[in-house]
Amino acid sequence: MTQQLVDLTIDCKGLSCPMPIVKTKKAIDQVSPGQVLEVLATDPGSVADIKSWATRTGHQFIGTTKDGDVFKHYIRRTDPNEVKPEGRHGDVISNEELHGLLTQNPVILDVREPMEYNFGHIPGAKLVPLGQLEEELESLRSLSDQVIHVVCRSGNRSDTACQILSEHGFKRVKNVVPGMSDWTFELEQSPS
Amino acid sequence: MAKRVAIIASNGGLETAYKVLNIATAAAATDAEVGIFFTFEGLSIIHKQSEAMLKLRPENAHFAEGFQRANVPTVSELLEIAIDSGVKMLACQMTVDVMGLTKEDFIDGIEVGGAVAFLDFAYDADVSVTF
Repeated sequence: MTQQLVDLTIDCKGLSCPMPIVKTKKAIDQVSPGQVLEVLATDPGSVADIKSWATRTGHQFIGTTKDGDVFKHYIRRTDPNEVKPEGRHGDVISNEELHGLLTQNPVILDVREPMEYNFGHIPGAKLVPLGQLEEELESLRSLSDQVIHVVCRSGNRSDTACQILSEHGFKRVKNVVPGMSDWTFELEQSPS
Repeated sequence: MAKRVAIIASNGGLETAYKVLNIATAAAATDAEVGIFFTFEGLSIIHKQSEAMLKLRPENAHFAEGFQRANVPTVSELLEIAIDSGVKMLACQMTVDVMGLTKEDFIDGIEVGGAVAFLDFAYDADVSVTF
């Protein structure tokens, strides 16, 4: 479940500025919204550049790891619709409120992609990517009497997940808003 | 709303060519609208013979090895990337005339125009830089 899914990898090893950025720009146009691009680079300047580039162009910078001399940068192409959460699931809880509950071991479902989860999630959160939620419903059934806190990056995928859970008899489902994009508290990382 | 970057390239030499083209291609990759106004010695950057014309300054000659080691793209590669990514390149009409050059002396994809043509672009720029 925690397998890191990469949809496209580009090799910018040995290239200097501005080539990693130029090639990243080309590559992001080749993946679909929601997919993850991996950029391999040896240019130390790429660490700050790729992050700034993603922020500036509105794509999600997931994180950077280092393997010897090679930096591996992960960027998720954003869906233009994803930044405007509609919030159709009425029962919400703020990041701060959820943080206050952490000592009570609340049930938290993180519905982002494995790559996003591995770079940092709320301690104790269980990974169930939105795309796999329906097939996981039966394994979650034992939790149906408990309050389930559903989190993603911006509150949009988790809103969809809350609706799916509600439709399948999970009565106490709360959407965590805004979600991980604004989570300033402790994080747990999964080894990659 | 896309950002707009207006660049004036008024010096020659390999150093200036890299300063101008690195900023221009990085800005274009960041979804900015980029325009460069080439004037005086800056015209050598877009000249068809630019490779022969663009040299490191004598005091920077020792950079040559570093350029190779860092695997820096060539000026013509950067120009191609710039044109492919929609960077507008405008050669200053007045200096082109003063130097006795014509549009045919320059690489494809550039335009020759007056100061107002560039200013028209630069008035609405978020960032303007001169090299």
